[in-house]
Amino acid sequence: MTTLRQAQGPGTPIQGVTLYSFTRAFHGREYDLEGLIRKVAAEGYGPGLEIIGFSSFRGFPSIEDSYAGWFRDLVVELGLVTTSLAVNADIGIHRDRLLTQDELIDYMTLQIKAAAKLGFPIARVQISITPDSMQALAPIAEEHGVTLALEVHADQYASHPRILALRDRFEQVGSPFLGFTMDWGATVTGFAPSLIEAYRRRGASEDLLAQVTGLWNEFYEQGPPADQAEHGQRFGRFIGLAAQNGRPDLGIDFGINGTGLFGPARVDDWLEIMPWIRHVHGKFFGIDENGEEPSVPVRDLIRLLVENGYSGAISSEYEGWHWNHWQSPFEIIAGEQAVQRSAAADAGSRMITDAAEARSLLHAHLAQPVRG
Amino acid sequence: MIPDRIIEQGTLTADGPRTAVEVRLPWYRALPGSCIAGAKLTVDGAEAPAESLRWRMNGREFRFDELVTEADEWWFPTDSAVLSGEIPLSDEAEHEVRVDLILYIPYIIIGDDETLHIEEHDTKTMTVRQGTEVAA
Repeated sequence: MTTLRQAQGPGTPIQGVTLYSFTRAFHGREYDLEGLIRKVAAEGYGPGLEIIGFSSFRGFPSIEDSYAGWFRDLVVELGLVTTSLAVNADIGIHRDRLLTQDELIDYMTLQIKAAAKLGFPIARVQISITPDSMQALAPIAEEHGVTLALEVHADQYASHPRILALRDRFEQVGSPFLGFTMDWGATVTGFAPSLIEAYRRRGASEDLLAQVTGLWNEFYEQGPPADQAEHGQRFGRFIGLAAQNGRPDLGIDFGINGTGLFGPARVDDWLEIMPWIRHVHGKFFGIDENGEEPSVPVRDLIRLLVENGYSGAISSEYEGWHWNHWQSPFEIIAGEQAVQRSAAADAGSRMITDAAEARSLLHAHLAQPVRG
Repeated sequence: MIPDRIIEQGTLTADGPRTAVEVRLPWYRALPGSCIAGAKLTVDGAEAPAESLRWRMNGREFRFDELVTEADEWWFPTDSAVLSGEIPLSDEAEHEVRVDLILYIPYIIIGDDETLHIEEHDTKTMTVRQGTEVAA
């Protein structure tokens, strides 16, 4: 596989998880935040721990000093390492207008401060933040010691014009505090079988299911959509397919998942932004009877990261919880992390599971010049 | 996203002309009042008049036109809110309850100035309790 930098040797990615993977368990009040974090530690899903601010912290981004102290103590007690705090640019929070640039900077600054207070060295931001806003946020990120890692998520991909424009701006600004979060959902190789099974359980015919996977495979052969117009056309094809087969109720669902979760870019596409990747969402949708992820090329992605010297964190991000109500997310995540570890060994390296080692490596990873 | 949990089972209450049910956020992260753009409450096919609908969360009650500008009170993913409206239910029998929600997702901008909104609904059957104070 192609590599950009060999000099520093193979990467040793840090194993971890985002609590987003357990959304149904937390939302269903099976675990409160402390219980869930204790579960992560006890089951060995760490040491890396990622949390979505607006999902898990009541009153976010306002964080009391005493609460931050409690949280930091808990993380230390359990031998975990806080990696990324996922934050949101709620540009549409007012119904009559979008936030102005100044309002957005203020809105994001509060969340960057919350990340620093809670001990997260990275804040995951999203595509709605423009190159100008990222540039304006760079000195604020630097002041608080928090790296802003903009998530590259389907239906975007590394070589998408919007992502390249951000990359070029990062290069121009030259701040080590600006980079990307790589989301594996941009480089998927098939329509997730567990979602096909969920549609089957909703009464979709085998013929319709074959057409859905066939349409996705057609788009995969064509590669990712060139622009938003082509993305919209593909969305429309999924809706049309559902309507033609007498299941118009499934059309939006086919479209959202087929274009917004299962991105058809190739693994090598990540090389366009590899030096700026500061964090990874190990997005996946299920584990099959052979113990493998059937639609996300986890092994190829791990090899790519190892061969390019990546020693940052990978948060396993299980997204199958939307539709898979018949299997435990906890077992599925354990299965995916086993694949990651096996893939790292096959690539001549290993995943980091020791907290002290992870802490030291993450610090070095974030401190190095982005283009180093 | 999580529409199967919108209606909290066993929370249907009636008090004179009004009926209320506890509802859960069908999304993974907290949203402010300004993003709760609309709701319908329907019992046995009868829909509560829109102007009678009230939304209670964090100990405060809102009309839906008041929620439009409410960016300080947030609906947290593990909290129940209470949706109420004028539907008189004088018995203690089983009823089919349907709740429709329209939510804006403030970080997903789909056009030059358009924010994504989602429409979700849930239907559950439950017995009504009479004269119960609504908590949330």
